[in-house]
Amino acid sequence: MSARLNLWLGLALVVTIAGLIASGSSYFVQIAITTMIFVILSASLNLITGSAGLLSLGHAAFFGVGAYVAALLATRYGWSFWTTLPAAAMASALVGVVVAMPTMRLTSIYFSVATLGIGEMIYVTLLNWVGLTRGPMGIRSIPGIELFGWKGIECQLVVTAAVMLGVLWLVHRLVHSYYGNSLRALREDDACADAMGIDTGRLKLQSFGVACAMAGAAGALFAHTTGYISPDSFRFGESILILSMIVVGGLGSLYGSIIGAVILSVLPELLRDLGSYRMIAVGVVLFLSILFLPRGLVGEVSALDLIRRQMRHRLQRRPEAGAW
Amino acid sequence: MDASVWLQQLVNGLSIGLVYALMAIGFTLIFGVLNVVNFAHGEVYTVGAFIGLLVITWLAPPLWVVLLVVLGGGGLAGWGLERLAFRPFRRFRDEASLKSKAMREATLLSSLAVSIIVREALELRFSGEMQTIAQRYLLQTPIQLGPVTITDGNLIIFGLSALSLLALQFVLYRTRIGMGIRAVSSNVLGAQFVGIDTTRAIVATFVVGSVLGAIAGIMVGLYQGAIFPHMGFEPGVKAFVAMVMGGLSSIPGAVACALLLGVSESVATQFFSDGWKALVSYSFLLLTLWFFPNGIFGAQKEKM
Repeated sequence: MSARLNLWLGLALVVTIAGLIASGSSYFVQIAITTMIFVILSASLNLITGSAGLLSLGHAAFFGVGAYVAALLATRYGWSFWTTLPAAAMASALVGVVVAMPTMRLTSIYFSVATLGIGEMIYVTLLNWVGLTRGPMGIRSIPGIELFGWKGIECQLVVTAAVMLGVLWLVHRLVHSYYGNSLRALREDDACADAMGIDTGRLKLQSFGVACAMAGAAGALFAHTTGYISPDSFRFGESILILSMIVVGGLGSLYGSIIGAVILSVLPELLRDLGSYRMIAVGVVLFLSILFLPRGLVGEVSALDLIRRQMRHRLQRRPEAGAW
Repeated sequence: MDASVWLQQLVNGLSIGLVYALMAIGFTLIFGVLNVVNFAHGEVYTVGAFIGLLVITWLAPPLWVVLLVVLGGGGLAGWGLERLAFRPFRRFRDEASLKSKAMREATLLSSLAVSIIVREALELRFSGEMQTIAQRYLLQTPIQLGPVTITDGNLIIFGLSALSLLALQFVLYRTRIGMGIRAVSSNVLGAQFVGIDTTRAIVATFVVGSVLGAIAGIMVGLYQGAIFPHMGFEPGVKAFVAMVMGGLSSIPGAVACALLLGVSESVATQFFSDGWKALVSYSFLLLTLWFFPNGIFGAQKEKM
């Protein structure tokens, strides 16, 4: 990523976290944690929907799989967060790859429809498999995150931030590379990408699996930080909320998905005084941004430009690094 | 379990299937003309039910007046939806941009946004609870027909759906505006060349589709006695499934698949608890997509 900008962003993150811990307000810390979880979700959805062009309408379901795996392992078998996190990520990736394998040859609208169906199937299963998931009652008293004996909400904030940074770094490395170029080729014209020797099926499956793993990790964070999960957090509406975040921020741009996630998760909290108007506000923001900012707040082109400029800058300073 | 139980489930399934069919036709018409998925279609259904409810609570007219008002309201909703969520994105008139991917995604998301706004506004105004409907409007009077008990709601749904389907055939094949709709859906550019006002045809499509959706909404609302802001989601998704199974742009295919979905759902309730019922239609959807990627009744078309 462009180094200077990231430095400032990182600094802002550190200052925010320090400020939140100093303020000692658990309400604001909770909002910050939720926002960071949504940043993970939107960055991972952006990998498949923004870069690879696979419009997924069931992302929240994979988030839910991760959350339930983590919650069940933690409450039934006493696993700690550090083991449920990878378990949840792997379980989500596995479910994602297995269910998505037959749908991968579908294109565009058919793929979206299939993900909608898969998402709803997962939701119905979570809701009705009462023996395992306790159905609509949800799972209670999931233990919090513990780091070398440090626990409490501040610890959860720091750990969530660390996981988020890890995910963002990974998505960044995936998207701004030859791999990312082939994902974009897939999005623009998959037949053409196929003809140029890109294994489109494998590429779709890989990116889908990676995105599902990240959603699963977000699910584990969600389960351990809120302590209570129920199927309603993983419905179609949530998938749409995540999709709205990347649309508002800019499809295909990592900065955009961060900004979109922050706006759409902080905005409802700011509007809490307005009570039930807040979901309408989300709808209005989505509508206006599609109408007036079709490329999002930070579109892919400008985000890529920023990064290229920075790279050129760096290369000019170190001419030995590459000759172009 | 004897035959009468199965017959009973068949009747119930067919009436709910007909409702899905009315919804699916709206989806299919709009997809045929613009190649976009209208995610606000479920909200048109809800709006239809709520218009009916308002008319009933304010004026308490006979049922056919309620239906006429809903018909008008549905048409208006369709017009407004097109104006708000679809027209602003049709900036160019050539076929490439009318059916382009960017256009598809933009209108998909804008219709989603409109549906969120409408649903939340309804919830704000009426609360998320089920509304109380005057007892005498509920279409739940039982009628004994041999071994099967049906309600007058079943009969009205059968009758009205059949009537709507016939009216649709008439509009599409016997009127100028229907000819315009068919022309635009088969070739936008060609329609423009022969002097068809494409915008008008598109608006007409939305109006026709939404009228059918709104009628389905009020019928189900009165038949099941349940009118609430989120009622449109499930039939919307089912109708969407029926459209995809039917091959995206085939109206007979969509109707057949909607009936199939309705019947198999109501038969499935004999085997599973009510909550698992929803899995039936999604499994149908996935099976169709895996084995018939173009839909069961779809012609071999270019990839979307």
